[in-house]
Amino acid sequence: MRALLQASTFIVALSLGSWLALAECSFALAGEINGRVIGPDGKGIAQAVVFVQTLPDGVSPLTPLAAAHMDQVNEQFAPTLLPIPVGTEVSFPNQDQIHHHVYSFSRTKRFEIPLYRGEEVPPIVFDKVGVVKVGCNIHDWMAGIILVVPTPFYAVTADDGSFTLRDLPVATYPLVSWHERSQTTVEETLQQVSVDEKVPNVTFSLTLKSDRSRLPIRGSRGYR
Amino acid sequence: MCGLSVAFAFLLGLLPVWVLVCVQVCVIDVSSAWGQYEVEEESPVWVRGLLDVRIARGGRSSSWTSRGPGKTRYGGRETKRATRLTVSQLALELGAALPWDVVARAQLNWDPDGYNDDRPLLIEAHLRKEWGAWEQGWGLQTGVMNLPFSLEHTGPAWTPQYTLTPSALNSWLWEEGHLVGIEGEWWRVIQSRLRLGLLVGSGFGQDQAGHLLAVRGWVLSDALHGVNSDLPLPVRGEHVPAFDEQDHRPSVYAWFTIRDLRRQAELGIGYFDNLADQDEREVWGTRFGTLGVILHPLAQVDFVSQYLIGKARHRPCRCGVSFHAFYALLSWHHRSHRISARYDVFQTNNQDGPPNYRDRGDAVTLAYLFEFGLQHRVGFEYIFVQSRHAQPFRSSPSDDGWQLSYRFRY
Repeated sequence: MRALLQASTFIVALSLGSWLALAECSFALAGEINGRVIGPDGKGIAQAVVFVQTLPDGVSPLTPLAAAHMDQVNEQFAPTLLPIPVGTEVSFPNQDQIHHHVYSFSRTKRFEIPLYRGEEVPPIVFDKVGVVKVGCNIHDWMAGIILVVPTPFYAVTADDGSFTLRDLPVATYPLVSWHERSQTTVEETLQQVSVDEKVPNVTFSLTLKSDRSRLPIRGSRGYR
Repeated sequence: MCGLSVAFAFLLGLLPVWVLVCVQVCVIDVSSAWGQYEVEEESPVWVRGLLDVRIARGGRSSSWTSRGPGKTRYGGRETKRATRLTVSQLALELGAALPWDVVARAQLNWDPDGYNDDRPLLIEAHLRKEWGAWEQGWGLQTGVMNLPFSLEHTGPAWTPQYTLTPSALNSWLWEEGHLVGIEGEWWRVIQSRLRLGLLVGSGFGQDQAGHLLAVRGWVLSDALHGVNSDLPLPVRGEHVPAFDEQDHRPSVYAWFTIRDLRRQAELGIGYFDNLADQDEREVWGTRFGTLGVILHPLAQVDFVSQYLIGKARHRPCRCGVSFHAFYALLSWHHRSHRISARYDVFQTNNQDGPPNYRDRGDAVTLAYLFEFGLQHRVGFEYIFVQSRHAQPFRSSPSDDGWQLSYRFRY
């Protein structure tokens, strides 16, 4: 009986120790980085991407890569900006009833897919880091960007320029910022940010070029 | 790109302008050195082109393009040119994003039909500005335009989307539907299910609208005519200018559309009246209405149908007609393949007279189109036409013809 009691006590102690160790481990994984991307006037910049440029030693991706989608809805790409980690598969479902002919001539990835509604085609694997401009061969105004980033830690800024990077293991990260119209190069935005028990707050400053994209024709005067 | 550009320029006689555009585009291409995260800069000016080459065998009768009674563009089997290799269309599209979110667009075409003296045809040239978003907004457009009623001319460079040759109804709309004017458009999504659109326009240059239809009758033609086209009449040597303004009264038109957000069903209702002053000797008074529907009952099936009814009057010659036309088109597509079948019926009836300009007929069109790559398309089409025209041909041309097409789009 005494032996049984001792054994039970040992098992309970072992379990408690393991739980405490796991709790400490999960606390270490819960690191965040908050921040903003702003322009020279101090106003927030929406649709900028903040990402970890290289993984520190000992840090590895926690989860497998999820598939991504860039839809075609109402003769526009949705989303118009899609950041993905390198190696991600992206599908291009056509939600419109009309024909789209999705293509990219970008050096990071060249492809073309003729697409009607309801047709499924194999996803495209983006296996090189960089910018991929996506267009429609029929509707010239349709434009989307796939930003292929080198790590799975990235965030898109909200309308006020704010962002949060979550689930970062404790380490020091090289953090950079990117925007479609940024005159500031990605390398110029590099900041080393340490993640520990405190949540660091980071500010990136970008200068944007004026917007000169092709304009959509939303009325009945466009091609179908 | 520049090689193709030079070919266009020689053909269109616009070499100096084109060289400037080409140099600008090339400079932009060269200057944008590529970096890993750098976005290739969007040029505010864009240029596109389309070349369509055909092997065509027409019906027995000479084509209307040669002032004959034939209803198709390629006719004349009794001549040595029964089967021919020809350029069907050469189009140059220019666009520019201007300050204040104004878009400028222009299209020039060249075709070898001969009656235009090989000059480039100005298909459109206009400025457009839109306010609002896809869900709700409005737009203004001004310049050289075509009436917006065709449900078939929705492909690149205003080519027919489903077949090589559009219906008789829409062939005519792209023959005599040119004007210089202004139009406003409004659209709105209601109850998160339906999208309404209303386009209202007014312009000049429609004083001969209906003339060609009354005297020559309906035809099936994929030739796109410009505002500077002269369209041949069966009467020897006579022609109808696509743009003619004598009474200085503007034409008016309206186009109302309603569709569901998934675009499974779309209805369009249009009206046109050139408000002619019939006291002016050479002016034709023409008005018509049109009703069209596009259905997508299945994801891979398109059904398009349209009806048009109207009258064209000309007091001095007493050659007015009432006219109507109808077509129904069924199209199936899968990936880059499309098969379409269309039935056309068309008629003009004498309102004055003599002479009697009655024209009636029907047609069946079968087409297969296959696109490959971003820039290439091949197509085959067979047209059966039965028709009878009372004057001036007094003939019953039976035009069965086929076409094999290769299209390159830059």
